[in-house]
Amino acid sequence: MEHLLETIGRNMFAIFGVLSLCGAAFMVASRSAIHSVLGFLFTMLCIAGCFLALEAEFLGMAQILVYAGGIVVLFLFVVMLVEMSKKSGPEVFQLQSRYAVAAVLIGAAAFVGVFRKVIFGSASAEALVLRPELAQGLNVAKQNAQAVSRGLFADYLLPFEILSVILLVALVGAVVLAKTERV
Amino acid sequence: MPIPTLSQSIVITLIQCLLVVVFVFVVVPLTVFAERKVLGYLQQRLGSTRVASGHVGITGWMNRGMWKWGRIPVLSYWRGIPGLVADILKLILKEDVIPAKADKFVFFIAPALSMVSAVVVFAAVSFVPGVFFTFPKWFPFVGGLPVSGGIADINVGLLWILGVASVGVYGIVLAGWASNSKYPLLGGLRSAAQMVSYEVPLAISLLAPVVLSASLNFAEMSERMAVGLPFWGLVPQVLGFLIYLTCGFAETNRLPFDMPEAENELVAGFHTEYSGMKFGFFYLAEYINMTVVAALAAGFFLGGPWLLPFGLQGLLNPYLPGFLSWFGEPHAIFFAVKIIFILFTYIWVRGTIPRYRYDQVMSVAWKYLIPMALVNLLLAALVRCFAV
Repeated sequence: MEHLLETIGRNMFAIFGVLSLCGAAFMVASRSAIHSVLGFLFTMLCIAGCFLALEAEFLGMAQILVYAGGIVVLFLFVVMLVEMSKKSGPEVFQLQSRYAVAAVLIGAAAFVGVFRKVIFGSASAEALVLRPELAQGLNVAKQNAQAVSRGLFADYLLPFEILSVILLVALVGAVVLAKTERV
Repeated sequence: MPIPTLSQSIVITLIQCLLVVVFVFVVVPLTVFAERKVLGYLQQRLGSTRVASGHVGITGWMNRGMWKWGRIPVLSYWRGIPGLVADILKLILKEDVIPAKADKFVFFIAPALSMVSAVVVFAAVSFVPGVFFTFPKWFPFVGGLPVSGGIADINVGLLWILGVASVGVYGIVLAGWASNSKYPLLGGLRSAAQMVSYEVPLAISLLAPVVLSASLNFAEMSERMAVGLPFWGLVPQVLGFLIYLTCGFAETNRLPFDMPEAENELVAGFHTEYSGMKFGFFYLAEYINMTVVAALAAGFFLGGPWLLPFGLQGLLNPYLPGFLSWFGEPHAIFFAVKIIFILFTYIWVRGTIPRYRYDQVMSVAWKYLIPMALVNLLLAALVRCFAV
């Protein structure tokens, strides 16, 4: 009993990983767009579980809060509005399948190119830590949020701020585009 | 203190979950009953006094019995309580109708989603600081082990609460869509817009206690807000408390913000097509969500399970009934009293304030609550900077 539980606990990451892949497959394969969104939601929750299994609690919770709670709700909203406007039907989705296959192939190639060394090389044996001195003096398992915030707001402040400016530009751009149609 | 093995700690966690579920299923029906009575008295009526349908059969027997009870002054308030049993029986026994054109899978999963996301929030809530009770030595399998006051001591508990609570919107939106009917869809869309907008001021108003207490853990936050700071947490956070409570009303779709089920515009909103226990799940989820919001408001702004500050507890102690001291410090009871007070406030507000128009609901969130929450956050930062 004890042994079994320990084995399950050690393989939590693999369990959540396989579940998230199942969710992703369901999302791609299902006919109805709403079912796809549900599969996507399941995948997001499982990825949060993966983060939790790696003891990255802050990232896991942020995953639930941002993706499951925010972005997928907006997806759902848009999908519901699209389905209302009679444009639904198989042809819309089949029209793009050629491009979708091309995009998946390019993405897979890029993934293998970037992570070739990590997966097959010597780096796969040791954990990828960018700057271990950032976590000095912190118990990372207990003070997850502090460790992340030290990285974001002390050591990588400039890239972080630039990133937020880019997001702001995208937001303002979206508002401008939406406004001009209405005039 | 013995260290529990993995299987023992899982058993203890299951026991804690059971306790939380018992707590929820005691509080929720009592809130439903209190809503009928309090709302009744607020509107100069008696509220529920009997089970419907007459003098015959089981209900007649129950009615006659409760009517006799009612001669005794205080018990007369409780005459309607068999009505609760009748309600639950009705929900369980009623035929479960699924509309022909509904999406079966989503129609089935929507009530479960809203129920689960409501209950799971309690994982991060700590009901009693430290150890709740210790199993006696003779207890099988887990004897001599302590049971802590909260299920999971997550160091980012606040994010867990906000994240899981935001998953609750799926239940309503998917229910509205899956019913394949006009009014549920409108209710679902309304609620998606409303809940997503009100999550923003809700999260910002909860950031102020985070700033003041420098933690994201529920237990640590309520401890520092109650006894850790040189003042009581509520004092610099009155504005934040009011903003949080307003957003909580909107998040749980209660009056004056019950847009998703505004009955004179949308029949019954997102749950129009639901019946039987599936409707019961939405009903339960709404009341569990109210309890969650009350627990968070009590924990973050009213001092949670902690006793009164400034030595006021010493003044109160002689008036507390003596048997409370058998269980140690009455933390759990203080927490429960605060939760019940906020649940009463829910009913009170429902009986007092009429419903907002839909555009007003959105403008309240975006034009007033978010700026006020930002000002409140600034205030908390100033207090943190100069007073702590």
